[in-house]
Amino acid sequence: MRFAVDTGGTFTDLVVEDVNGDVRLYKSSTTPDDPIKGVLDTLHLAANDFGLSDRDFLLKGDMLIHGTTRAINAIVTNNTAKTAFLTTMGHPDVLVFREGGRAEPFDFTADFPKPYVPRSLTYEIQERVAYDGRIIEPLDENHLIETLESIRQEKVEAIGVCLLWSIVNPIHENKIGKLIEEHLPGIPYTLSHKINPSLREYRRASSTVIDSSLKPLMGSYLGGLKERLKDAGFDGRVLVVTTQGGAMDAADMAKSPIHSINSGPAMAPVAGRYYSSHDTGVDTAIIADTGGTTFDVSLVRGGRIPWTRETWIGQPYRGHMTGFPAVDVKSIGAGGGSIAWVDEGGLLHVGPQSAGAVPGPVCYGKGGTEATVTDASVVLGWIDPNYFLGGAMHLDHKAALKAINSGIADKLGLETKEAAYAVLKVATENMVHAIEDITVNQGIDPRDAVLIGGGGAAGLNMVAIGQRLGCKQVIIPDTSATLSAAGALMSDLRGEYSATLFTDTSNFDFKGVNGLLDNLLSQCKLFLSGPGEGCIDHTIEFTAEARYPSQIWEIEVPLRGGLISNEDDLAKLHSDFHSTHEDLFAISDKQSDIEFVGWRANISCRLRDKHAFQLVEDCEVESNQEFRQAYFDGVGFIDTPVHKFESMDSELFITGPAIIESSFTTVVIDPEAKASKMKSGSLVIEPAP
Amino acid sequence: MSIELKAKKERKLDGVQMAVLNKRMEAICRKMSNTLLRTGRSGVLNSARDFSCCLVTGDNSLLSVNESLPIHVLRGADMMAASMKEFHPELRRGDAFMHNSPYHGGSHAADHTTLVPVIDDDGIHRFTMVAKAHQADCGNSIPTTYHGGAKDVYQEGALIFPAIRIQENYKDIDDIIRMCKMRIRVPDQWWGDYLAALGAARIGEREILALGSEVGWETLEQFALQWFDYSEQLMISAVRNMPGGTKVVHTRHDPFPGMEEGVDIKVEVKVDTESAMIEVDLRDNPDCLPCGLNLSQACAETSALLGVFNSVPADVPTNQGSFRRVDIKLRENCVVGIPKHPTSCSVATTNIADRVGNATQRAIAELGDGYGMAAAAAIIPPSIGVISGSSEMTGGPYVNQIFLGWGGGAAAPHNDAWLTLGHIGNAGLSYLDSIELDEMRFPMLVKGRHFVTDSGGAGRTRGGAGVFCEFGPTDGEMEVGYVSDGNETPAEGVRGGGPGGCANQFRRDPNGDLHPLESCEQAIIPQGHTIVSYSCGGGGYGDPNERDVNLVVDDLNDRWISEQTVTDVYGVILNDDGSVDINATDKVRQHNLKK
Repeated sequence: MRFAVDTGGTFTDLVVEDVNGDVRLYKSSTTPDDPIKGVLDTLHLAANDFGLSDRDFLLKGDMLIHGTTRAINAIVTNNTAKTAFLTTMGHPDVLVFREGGRAEPFDFTADFPKPYVPRSLTYEIQERVAYDGRIIEPLDENHLIETLESIRQEKVEAIGVCLLWSIVNPIHENKIGKLIEEHLPGIPYTLSHKINPSLREYRRASSTVIDSSLKPLMGSYLGGLKERLKDAGFDGRVLVVTTQGGAMDAADMAKSPIHSINSGPAMAPVAGRYYSSHDTGVDTAIIADTGGTTFDVSLVRGGRIPWTRETWIGQPYRGHMTGFPAVDVKSIGAGGGSIAWVDEGGLLHVGPQSAGAVPGPVCYGKGGTEATVTDASVVLGWIDPNYFLGGAMHLDHKAALKAINSGIADKLGLETKEAAYAVLKVATENMVHAIEDITVNQGIDPRDAVLIGGGGAAGLNMVAIGQRLGCKQVIIPDTSATLSAAGALMSDLRGEYSATLFTDTSNFDFKGVNGLLDNLLSQCKLFLSGPGEGCIDHTIEFTAEARYPSQIWEIEVPLRGGLISNEDDLAKLHSDFHSTHEDLFAISDKQSDIEFVGWRANISCRLRDKHAFQLVEDCEVESNQEFRQAYFDGVGFIDTPVHKFESMDSELFITGPAIIESSFTTVVIDPEAKASKMKSGSLVIEPAP
Repeated sequence: MSIELKAKKERKLDGVQMAVLNKRMEAICRKMSNTLLRTGRSGVLNSARDFSCCLVTGDNSLLSVNESLPIHVLRGADMMAASMKEFHPELRRGDAFMHNSPYHGGSHAADHTTLVPVIDDDGIHRFTMVAKAHQADCGNSIPTTYHGGAKDVYQEGALIFPAIRIQENYKDIDDIIRMCKMRIRVPDQWWGDYLAALGAARIGEREILALGSEVGWETLEQFALQWFDYSEQLMISAVRNMPGGTKVVHTRHDPFPGMEEGVDIKVEVKVDTESAMIEVDLRDNPDCLPCGLNLSQACAETSALLGVFNSVPADVPTNQGSFRRVDIKLRENCVVGIPKHPTSCSVATTNIADRVGNATQRAIAELGDGYGMAAAAAIIPPSIGVISGSSEMTGGPYVNQIFLGWGGGAAAPHNDAWLTLGHIGNAGLSYLDSIELDEMRFPMLVKGRHFVTDSGGAGRTRGGAGVFCEFGPTDGEMEVGYVSDGNETPAEGVRGGGPGGCANQFRRDPNGDLHPLESCEQAIIPQGHTIVSYSCGGGGYGDPNERDVNLVVDDLNDRWISEQTVTDVYGVILNDDGSVDINATDKVRQHNLKK
């Protein structure tokens, strides 16, 4: 039996796939003070459902794949370790300068970002290596030891070391690592050439200090998770989802915790890719995952999940660059818990603030006082207060009404229902903009894509979003409420290795490059016989990072084989580069040589058979069609048919207005939209034109 | 009212349609910019983002700009498009034009601009896509794109293209390409940059043709009309919100070859809240000078607009509509006006333009607290100079502008300065070079790069610190061209704020001894020597004695200011353990503020 647990801002989701391939979903509240408790809570729910004790249930588990926002939350709330930054003498401000750049040229109301490590905890080290690896100035060990002594006095909890050109000659960084272990035993540290051997000192330094600052926290979190699961009876393997949309062993993650930064949202597109191809055969999809707190958009283009090379924590130029490519996910503060508010000028806003898991929306009755999207949906009759989470949680309709009235309607001079609808409308606009942002950047026309809705709050306005974008189909999979966790169960175990070697087509270094590729291959093989052992099958992909001479932004070109043995292989790569460049930028320079900078190998080990991924039908849900009063734009409150998702017949074709609800989600079918349920269990909707 | 016009009026677009079309226009400009950044060959493009992409209407009004260098695009794109139409009354789909003439709307000769007229299926010219890119070299008589000493355009030496057709039917006109390759240093690099700018303009053309056939050209025309009105309305509200009055501000550009006395600049700003107009008068200034620092008309107008738009809320769009509310008075043959051929404008986008823009926003600050800004740093220091030489590593000659670090930003009314602003005309958009990338591409070693303590102008909000940078060649000698204003006159503070630190530059010999260099020079740095560059800091806003005490302590801990400055300038008295002596501080600050 395999488990996937995704800890979100509001809910902790669990997907269980048993030995027969049957899939079941569970959801419980996230417990921010002790997130592991939330993980154990959902497992307890599942054990109950299986009619087993927690211990007996957990004993059946072979594998648990975990997605967590622990690392990103720690960074955003400034709760990472007190970290020192060691840099080459003369270059103390690498983290302050960053790479320059700014977004709005005429906006001088935003402060310049603070460096990830303050200048007061930055230490310059006497040493210098040249671009070709020559040592220009040897490491001054006495000076270093004095520095380590000052670091001890500052009560630093972690150390990041990034020296210029350590990627070409790591001797000084390695020596510093040894001396840290000797003089500051027990203080975790990260060396830049190990965590991210890539060109450009800011990105590498940023990776390094972020990684080291997370080590104490993620070390104890992941250690605690394994231990408490073990205590509860789980004896299987614990994997953690990575920013790149794969999975790695928890123990390895604890050693390089930067890979867990976008752990949660990176999984949704993995599930999205499965559903778009399985349900519609379309290989371009927009995956919109609406949780309680955030709205995450990701993509599938041509059957692949596009990456972004520049990943920022926070806004571009104002946040911190992770230095790693990542699944391209655009996140905005919008979800069921998003707070609606009216500014002094009388303009309605929704989010980015969220009521989160605690206190949650007003209708949860847990102390929330500000109206949220969920409250508005209750007022509109879209969410049934008696059937939230299948009736597990009762919502307070009156409180929601009151909050919408006092917080929104009174201030805008609108009727309650109009105010509630306006909240949903603004939320929809915010989400549409987020989608347009990422699709433009990745060159996708939303009208050619399938929109896949995931997350507990997706159904409220996904059809409206699809209509705004001109998507022909909206899919709400049966696992939509726990889409990221479902993706985690479908994900591959991944290892990634890279190295820098500069050469060009005019004087190609066959020996050097092939030696390097061979080395990358050995690392992949080592991974395969280590973490990857027992996988169903695996693929290894090599890519070159290349550019035209004197360009500085490389593009990735896949290698057709594992080596570049002869002029013919090189010519193929050369022409592949031209066509990739032309695809991306509409031009190529076919007469020109190309330069190679970086080389990368990815290994993916498949953990799951390719059989269908389908939720178990819950026979207990009655299929009686009910009606309730719900509000629709231009129609007002009308008696609206309510269908139960679980027991919907695949022969049934529904035309909106209608509501389709399950234990986990409510799907609002706007007037004139057409909905039906596919054999796969997914709901497919054609928005009104 | 004609029937057609009336019909247009009735097709008024609603708020949602306007918002969506505006997003689409912005997305088009963003795609253009992305292409230029990713495919440009010279450092000035791919690293420093020294380019701009914008969209001009068929009747030559600037409509949409995407996060482009402000000095490039507020004015100029419209004038260049107009000259294209004037010189080529018959435009056809597939045409592209090259433009860099400062006498016809260009900024300076180094900014090669590709103009692509967008022609609909009926042959009507609807829009002009504009992609402007600063070149690493433009064929000047010396290897720099900023020829400060050029006494006229002939000595400057650049090839001048007043809207020359460079493509027909989507095919290059090779005659022009060959001319460029014969005159411009590192021709392959130029060719790559030309392709990048052309690619950007063509991508924009493709997108807008698709949008036009999707929503209809009339709709786009209607959008432009309404968008201009909307932008003007926002500008009217912004101006009405400002303190009214007239303010004259003086500043001075340092002495340079051809202007040995320096240049005094006078800017008069009048904010009329009743008519919601801002007037910037630049006429009472010296005649054009026999050097490369004269402003082109595009740069003169843009620099004044910069100071204005830095002083209004950022949500006011910068386009023809909002520009209607700014009246800029220029005169012919004026160093900050309308130059006559063959006046050289080689350095028009930076030095004197910076002085005008900074003086404009200072004037607005002096009209009322909470408005305008201090002055940002003057440039161009050696740390962003044009380096050239020849080496084995580069396989022959190399010429490129590097961007290791430049000026600090100006303090704003409520925020400390943006540290990596560069200068007012750049607004911080440029990227900074990675040390590793520069050392990999050029035969050079960067010995150090860091901010300079106490170089940000003191104030209630602090100016950005200047940058120290030291580098030298590792293979043969290196020529470094730079034109560094601010060696004498710093970036001024406003409303009691202090000035930023001044620029300076030296050559360090192998013994470590420093030798002063001129502020405008093509410095020759032999192997084994280094060039040492100090860039300017930006000015502060408001009295430093009003700065939050906790921020002063943070500034000290993070080495932005020294202990002496904490006491002498900010009036904060520290106890022996580093904590603040609140009583003593209050006393000192009250005393200082009374003065």
